[in-house]
Amino acid sequence: MSIGTLTKKVLHAALFDEIWDAMKVTFRHMFHRPITFQYPREQRTIPDAHRGALGLLRYDDGKERCVGCDLCEAACPSHCIKVISAEDKSLPLQRYASEFYIDITKCVFCGYCVEACPVNALAMTKLYEYSTHDKRTLLFDKKRLYEIGERYLADAKKYLFAHNQEKDDQDSREYRYFFPQSVQKPTQPGPPKHLT
Amino acid sequence: MALKPVTTPDIEAATVELSIDGRTVSAKDGVSLYDVISSTGKIVPAMCYHYTFDPFGSCGMCLVTVEGKKAPVRSCTAKAAAGMVVRTDGDDLFQARKKAVEKHLSVHPLDCPVCDADGHCELQDMAFHHQVTNLANAKQKLIPEDTRSPVLDFNMNRCIACGECINVCKDVLMIDALQFIKKGGFTQVVAKGDTALACEFCGDCLAVCPVGAITNKFSKYLYKPWQLRKTTTTCNYCGDGCQMHLETKDNEVVRVTSPLSWKNKWGDRADTAKGHGGICVRGRFGFQYIDSQARLRQPLVRRNGTLPEGELVETPWLEAMQAVVDRLAEVKAAHGAQAIAGLITARCTNEELYLFQKLMRAVIGTNQLDSSSRYGHLNFVRAVRHTLDVGRMTNDCEDITKAKAILLVGTNITETNPLTAVRVKEAIRVYKSQVIVVDSAQTNIAKLASYPMIVTPGTEGLFVQGLVKSVIEQDLIDAETTGKHPEAFAALKRAVADVSLEAIAARTGVSVEHINEAASIFAEAPRAIILCAEGIVRRPDGYQNVLKLVDLAWITGKLGRPGSGVNTLTEEVNEQGAVDMGAAPEYLPGQARFDDEAARDKFAKAWGAALPAPSSGANLMEILERCRSGAIKALYVVGENPVATLPASLEVRAALEQLELLICQDPFLTETAQMAHIVLPACTYAEKEGTFTNLEGKVLRVRQSMDPIGESLPDWHVMTSLASGLGSQFEYESSQDIQSEIMKLLPGYYNLGEPRKLSPKPDAYLSNGYVAEVGSRYGVVREAVSERNGHRPFGLVMGQLLYHSGKLSTQASGLITIAPSAGRLHMNAQDMERLGLTEDSRVRVTSGQGSLEMGAKADLSVMPGSCFFPEHFNDPPVKDLMPVEVDSVTGVPYFKFAWVSIEEA
Amino acid sequence: MPQLEDQRSTVYKVDPEHPESTTLPTLRTEELLLNMGPQHPATHGVLKVILELEGERIVKATPVMGFLHRGVEKLAEDGTYHQFIPHTDRLDYVCAMYNNFAYCRAVEKLMNITVPERAEYLRTIVAEVQRIIGHQFWLGTQALDIGAMTVFFYTFRDREILLDWFDELCGARLTTSWYRIGGVERDFTPSLLGKVRKFLDYFPPKIEEYVVFLEKNRIWLSRTQGVAVISAEDAVNFGLSGPTLRGSGVDYDLRKYEAYGAYPKCEFSVPVGKNGDTYDRYWIRILEMKESVKIIRQCLDQMPEGPIMADVPSVTLPPKDRVFTNLESMIQQFKLFSQGFDAPPGEIYCGTEAHKGELGFYIVSKGGGKPYRLKIRAPSFIHMGAFDHMARGYMIADAVTIFGTYDIVMGECDR
Repeated sequence: MSIGTLTKKVLHAALFDEIWDAMKVTFRHMFHRPITFQYPREQRTIPDAHRGALGLLRYDDGKERCVGCDLCEAACPSHCIKVISAEDKSLPLQRYASEFYIDITKCVFCGYCVEACPVNALAMTKLYEYSTHDKRTLLFDKKRLYEIGERYLADAKKYLFAHNQEKDDQDSREYRYFFPQSVQKPTQPGPPKHLT
Repeated sequence: MALKPVTTPDIEAATVELSIDGRTVSAKDGVSLYDVISSTGKIVPAMCYHYTFDPFGSCGMCLVTVEGKKAPVRSCTAKAAAGMVVRTDGDDLFQARKKAVEKHLSVHPLDCPVCDADGHCELQDMAFHHQVTNLANAKQKLIPEDTRSPVLDFNMNRCIACGECINVCKDVLMIDALQFIKKGGFTQVVAKGDTALACEFCGDCLAVCPVGAITNKFSKYLYKPWQLRKTTTTCNYCGDGCQMHLETKDNEVVRVTSPLSWKNKWGDRADTAKGHGGICVRGRFGFQYIDSQARLRQPLVRRNGTLPEGELVETPWLEAMQAVVDRLAEVKAAHGAQAIAGLITARCTNEELYLFQKLMRAVIGTNQLDSSSRYGHLNFVRAVRHTLDVGRMTNDCEDITKAKAILLVGTNITETNPLTAVRVKEAIRVYKSQVIVVDSAQTNIAKLASYPMIVTPGTEGLFVQGLVKSVIEQDLIDAETTGKHPEAFAALKRAVADVSLEAIAARTGVSVEHINEAASIFAEAPRAIILCAEGIVRRPDGYQNVLKLVDLAWITGKLGRPGSGVNTLTEEVNEQGAVDMGAAPEYLPGQARFDDEAARDKFAKAWGAALPAPSSGANLMEILERCRSGAIKALYVVGENPVATLPASLEVRAALEQLELLICQDPFLTETAQMAHIVLPACTYAEKEGTFTNLEGKVLRVRQSMDPIGESLPDWHVMTSLASGLGSQFEYESSQDIQSEIMKLLPGYYNLGEPRKLSPKPDAYLSNGYVAEVGSRYGVVREAVSERNGHRPFGLVMGQLLYHSGKLSTQASGLITIAPSAGRLHMNAQDMERLGLTEDSRVRVTSGQGSLEMGAKADLSVMPGSCFFPEHFNDPPVKDLMPVEVDSVTGVPYFKFAWVSIEEA
Repeated sequence: MPQLEDQRSTVYKVDPEHPESTTLPTLRTEELLLNMGPQHPATHGVLKVILELEGERIVKATPVMGFLHRGVEKLAEDGTYHQFIPHTDRLDYVCAMYNNFAYCRAVEKLMNITVPERAEYLRTIVAEVQRIIGHQFWLGTQALDIGAMTVFFYTFRDREILLDWFDELCGARLTTSWYRIGGVERDFTPSLLGKVRKFLDYFPPKIEEYVVFLEKNRIWLSRTQGVAVISAEDAVNFGLSGPTLRGSGVDYDLRKYEAYGAYPKCEFSVPVGKNGDTYDRYWIRILEMKESVKIIRQCLDQMPEGPIMADVPSVTLPPKDRVFTNLESMIQQFKLFSQGFDAPPGEIYCGTEAHKGELGFYIVSKGGGKPYRLKIRAPSFIHMGAFDHMARGYMIADAVTIFGTYDIVMGECDR
């Protein structure tokens, strides 16, 4: 071992120079803008694709999109959805969900239900603050889900667009699902585009 | 195998050899090529094919190439022939099949989200399997839905015209209620004559529909198949004990499906001899009572005094059980074990019936117990046990199907036991069987039968007597079997010497020639089956009449011959099990006589308790009598409802009011339960495990498909804790524990669910005791108690409807929708006309027991001079018009028939 | 030793019949049995180790696992192949993307599906981002376990950037479920591309920053150098993989040997250590982060345009807009979600080089839409098998760094 390296080693041992090197980095950061922020006063910017609480959607004319096909229930890996459907008595051959439950405590936010939905009735929103003192309120029922869907409609549409479920607003109207018509009582406003 | 059904199972078709995908396969000549291919294990897609009926060939999916033919052929309608070279795979065939699917898809509506069949749809499977992605020229049919039927909705937009529904209805069930019709440019399935569907509503068309064209109205749009949990269990309505799938979501029964389905389309036609897997209207649409609102959810205890002031108050289980135990112990301490009796329904499982009699005999110490087999089935069991040393019917369903002659006496089989009826229908259709139906009504089976014999109501037994006489007169006897017991045969000959065929013909209303014809058809058939039911075992002299049927079978040599024998039908699912489990005072488990010392020792040792004295037992009628006299102070009723079942003349209500303690254990608050001091909520079969023994002796699993409703508990659970409360250690934690005890005591009873072949052993009886008994059997034809006389011209029959079973089914809203309680007397149209009655008229029906006012309706099956009222409804209480007669041997009460007068009210 | 003698006499008083009363030595040393975990902050979740100690030295170490067992393998048998993807997120919950990747690759191998080229690049980029996250996470927590807190802050700061990037990509930061059988769920948007490029410029200096804290730090060096040494032969015999194996000088990396994804089209080196100690493994991870940056850069440059999902109608979903209007697409949608695709009967094993090591999925299919059996070869679990071998003779304080050196995550280990 040469004198030089020996001296270096001794100095290193005595002076704790690695501490100084590291301190330099640490002190440099004193002049940075802090990267933490004060939640809940400051909020994170949530991206469009974010998979938050689920909501049910309506068409622009106010009609419920959901046809109660129960496919979301089949797709759900955590079995947190329960749909009970019924026939719309005034409109034969039209099915709708009479009850719709999502147990949000069980939900894993994978978004499969949205992917499965053949009518794009479900969408995820940017809502993530729904903590409560009463666990029972976390069983979202149909009313609550439609409320979420209405309140966060813009988020929901952005979500559907971001995840390739829907084209943008204009195009999406054309992809509306139409029930096969019943001759007895024509209930739909003109023949669906894809049938003509 | 389809296409060329073998008319006799003994004759085999010639065997040919052909090559399928390079493999040499041997097959019967002339059968469907599709069957031959599927028997090799290869599955060629097909949508209109089902093994239970002949190929129809409408879907165009089962294409194969046959060497020598240019285009692919439909394998289902092609017949196997010697030397055929068949190829079933290949890209060309795949493309051809894909074309066929596309053809169906192009006119199919876009309604998978709406359709109930979605997820259980053959069209979906086929489209997916063949990777159809680009459909050209899709168009829709736009046919309105046919919702006229109360049970099924027909959405012909979804129909692929495979014809499976029509074929199964026509070929298998022989009801023929559906047809194709060309309407609006499309072929559609409609009810015959394009009216509202009015059939037996068995729903087999629904089961075989490969798409969602036929929909179950009761579960329509509720759930999709993937949401439902499917439990295979046994139906608890009639004695057929059909297997079915109970589909539940959480604690709600959504629908019932059958093993018969378009999914099980591959099979051997010969296998249908044991059953085709379908179920009847009761099984398929009568499930709503399981989760009905009317179910008892909590024990009820009568507070503030006894009847009628007291009120039934909901009480926690612990308190209610404490009350039951305390008060039973009190009665036992004060009046002894003979003051306690018990009744149980034959809708309980074998394990519960076993436990019930063990509880009564070993814990309480009384032999005063009975089950609902007493209403008729015991007549049959006692008779065959006495004469043939067997304890149930001697044949199984396969024997019925393959019989050459079937004698149906006093049974409306298509209504009471629809799936056994399908076996008879298959015998008629496939095996060309001769069927003789002896009944007082023009029943559905009589319409299909080759020899329908319509008799005057109440004379079925007399007709049997005529048959015996006729066999002897025409010398149709089997010399071999009668030769073995010449004294017995001589005694029989002596006994029937005075019987005059002419007198019988006059009384029954069937000519002597017809009686002779029926006798010769039956006697000459190589495999002949006797099936008797309510018209024999539930009518006066039931026991004697079964003995006469045994005589008939004996002298014609049918006893012990393969495929021949004497059989019966049971009304409730486990009547056979109730007798086998010893829920009758005369029998210990395994049908050992209660006074048989060896058996008594065996069970006393197994149960660690002394059995009650042999003569201390009491059957249903005796129990009621003892209640009335005050000898019985406490009655434990499990699922039975004697108040609503028995006629008022028996004063059941008064008898039960005498009791110090009436405990009712039932899923519902029945009429009897309303009188009870303590009511315990019991589970239905859907909420418990166990087994049923069906009429064939098959032991069938009952599986739990849902949690008990409310706080109800399975009967075995209640009985176990009751026994523990009374100081006996019953250590059963599940029904399996009880099962293993039964297995130890009755080895081989379960027999893996297969009925064991029984061989009748008449020799002991014929050589010993027969001579003495037979003399009085035919003696003078006894005048029936309520014989017709001038001012009571109508025979009123109370019987079962197809759509109901006992009182239980009236709790099922689906069946009530199909057949509501109409309170109307079914009459012959001519009689109505003669009396000047219309459909709106009210009639007054008077019998020796009283008179009632009710509506009337014309019924095509009712013959002139008779009328019919369904026994399921007590509105008005027609049962109270019935005279009661109790069988002197078996103690069976007969109260299903009366002579009445009818006048406009 | 009079006191000890006294104690013995009390033993006699209590139980003179004691079978060992006469044979008890007057003085004895005993191994101390110490339960470490499962509620120990340094055990990376809920690992329990039973340590047999001689003084402070470990004589034997027995890992007790299963405190986080959720029956994931059994759950797989209950759902369709597709439905299992969210469950894989929860294996190694720190690096969900790589689990997704490994699982999808296994199913694709079973179904014999070729993934479109663009999807392969997307998958590789995201997988390498996930590798960076994994190594950052390891570095931060390992340094924290040893006592250096600052590194933890810096690695987590940079990890946040990438997690937010995941959020923008797939909608979740940790439970990503972004991979699909036959491709990926969503393409990069221009914003995502910009962000990842920006990160590639930002990140390499940050690696130097981490190193500054540790490189010469004498505590770090003394607690990593020569600790948890395993020879190359033993490492292979114990079935170790990933940096844990390469630290011992075995050049084995599935990215090179199996050449899946877009890896064969990228140039990168596989760093290999020589001493087989914790320090070498640390250094390999630092170098791998640098290699990952290289791979991502190459992928971004080479990535072609094209579809992101394979077009196999019997396995992959139809485009959503067709579902509304076309019966055949609707049927496809319903069949795939309610029953899943029909897998051919057979067995396959497919290993993927996750940042911890070889993550393998073994699937037994008997046909139908659900796996008959699914077995996960979790590197954390396999590595724990070597724990006893590697911990013997070290001090009790080293136990934490020894299982830290494998980068174990109990979610994956217990499954």
